[in-house]
Amino acid sequence: MTGMHHMLVHFPLGLWALATLMILVGALLPGRMAELSRAALLPVLVLSLLGALAAIVSGFLVWPLAAHTHSPLGRNHLLMSLWSLGIFTMLTVLVWRAGDAAFDGARRWVLVLLALIGGLFFAAAGTLGGHLVGAPTAFSEVLGVMGWEVYTTFYSPLWVIAVMVLIGVGCAALGRRGRRSVD
Amino acid sequence: MARQDKGATPWLVLGLPVALGLAWVTQGSGVIEDDPERNISIPEALTMPLQVQAAYNDEQIFFRYRWPAEQAHVYHDMLRYEDGEWIRHGSSMPGPDPDGTYEDRVAMLVDDGGVPEFGRYGGYITVGDRMRFFSDSASPAEVAEHPYLGQEKGKSDVRKYLPATRRDQTDWRSVEDADVLAAQREAGYFLDLWHWRAGRSNPIGASDDQWVGEYRNSDAGTGPYTTNWDGDNDRPRWMLDPEQTGQRALRWEDVVSGEVDFDSIYYLSEENRTDFDPDHDWQDGDVIPRRLLRTPEGSRGSIAVHGQARWEDGYWDVTLVRDLDTGSPLDDKILADQGVYDIGIAVYRNATGSRWHYVSHPYSLGLGREADLQATAFSGGAPEWDDAWFDMTLFYPGQVDWPLLISQAHAGAENIAQGTPVRARHSEEQLALYGVEMEFNDAITSRWWMTLVAGLIVMLGVTLALLPGFRSTRQGDRS
Repeated sequence: MTGMHHMLVHFPLGLWALATLMILVGALLPGRMAELSRAALLPVLVLSLLGALAAIVSGFLVWPLAAHTHSPLGRNHLLMSLWSLGIFTMLTVLVWRAGDAAFDGARRWVLVLLALIGGLFFAAAGTLGGHLVGAPTAFSEVLGVMGWEVYTTFYSPLWVIAVMVLIGVGCAALGRRGRRSVD
Repeated sequence: MARQDKGATPWLVLGLPVALGLAWVTQGSGVIEDDPERNISIPEALTMPLQVQAAYNDEQIFFRYRWPAEQAHVYHDMLRYEDGEWIRHGSSMPGPDPDGTYEDRVAMLVDDGGVPEFGRYGGYITVGDRMRFFSDSASPAEVAEHPYLGQEKGKSDVRKYLPATRRDQTDWRSVEDADVLAAQREAGYFLDLWHWRAGRSNPIGASDDQWVGEYRNSDAGTGPYTTNWDGDNDRPRWMLDPEQTGQRALRWEDVVSGEVDFDSIYYLSEENRTDFDPDHDWQDGDVIPRRLLRTPEGSRGSIAVHGQARWEDGYWDVTLVRDLDTGSPLDDKILADQGVYDIGIAVYRNATGSRWHYVSHPYSLGLGREADLQATAFSGGAPEWDDAWFDMTLFYPGQVDWPLLISQAHAGAENIAQGTPVRARHSEEQLALYGVEMEFNDAITSRWWMTLVAGLIVMLGVTLALLPGFRSTRQGDRS
């Protein structure tokens, strides 16, 4: 299953990188290339999610779950992979929801911000995967400069976890209220 | 609806970088802290350098070790007189001894190929199930009840042992039968342990000589120290001889000063002791070492200090010497010209003992053959050292044991089964960080799960917040 996972991860990584590039071009540049990027973004995102699901499922089969959850690198790889999936799922939902208007007004900046965060996460997931197979990349050092030693598990203090949940719940509540006012 | 994207809704996306940014800048905090109740004390520095040289002539082999230490810790296991009682200072404890009364040490495991896993995984193979000073260490009562370790050998803890001395790698109790253990030893399935101590052997120019099989055993003979305690009368057996040394005891303020004068009397030995005088007017703060140093004999006395091992200008410089062939093949690994061997070195500093040491990866040692550490052949009585050191990085190993490493909880277990050496996959810095994390594995794992889920909750919440602002606003689009 290790080889299968190595093969499958190319799909989300490649497609997420392409989607990030398309969002940046579609949001920041004028002209035909930007139009094409905006028009083709949704199928790329959908395909990337399918590839990511296959890659993550195969990744769980590489080692026993205990090995994943006992290894700082394994934990980090899993967290970054699932957070990447989360970010690009957000992008897929929002772009699908807005259709051709996804890049209108301030929305483009939402997409750009999400793409940049997702880009950071999937790059981290990729380099951590490299570590796990004994082929680390220099990007780990970039993460180190950003304050994260990748050989230590990424986890937050309880108060931060609470703040994160509160932000999530608060945003959901605002969204619900906004939805009612729109309807 | 067309006004939605001009409003505040899209900017709710900022909740995501705020939450994730907060997680990022605080990651890794809130769990790792000293917990003596669980035998946890994390050293400030997780790695340290060690320089090594080796040389040999026709008869002997010399090892020279040099490592940095803020100060020399030569006092070990002291009896301090206070309010009419002799109080012991310096027994093993988690982390540094607060009084500094725990000696510096260097220990070296040596193998000749009889323990193949040692050359690949070093000291990790000696760390078995429920070792002493682990958070889940076997209790003294449990060990004392064990028919072999407790009742036959009189042990009360689980110390280093080799994997094949146990039938079940996950159970320290499953010691092989005595005849199997004896056969293993005859076959060379043991590790030689050179064990230099700054307090309990160095002052008399000696080192301890031990071996690791089903336990960390001492070689045959007598060791470089014995216990200075009269249990019947709760007082020392011996004191310093005032006629020879001008004093009966040390002073506590000198012991804890952090200073040491190697030319002064800072130890008790056969040469400077006399019987304890209970009628002397002992003063609070008088200190008598609880260990009496004596010349080791037999196989256990095979290793000596060459010259003088001293701490100076922030560095220990220790040279040990031993016969290539000690004549004790069941206690020692016999070395010879053209031989290649495996070694692993550990250093204790900062007044720590037990498992609070820094250990090395396994390295090969070559006598006239290519290896990581090349021993220099020379003629004459003593080597002339040059500045060609072999540099090692030692690391704090934390609570990682062999049963874990070969279990499903270790992603590299398959690599171990295939014989991939640890050096091919893990750096010393990496292993130090892993070692610390294993001491808090349950707490870190649960906190990591919470962080993972909290991040996904933020993403879901922000998505729900953004949806009203991302409704299609163009004719013909979905609504």
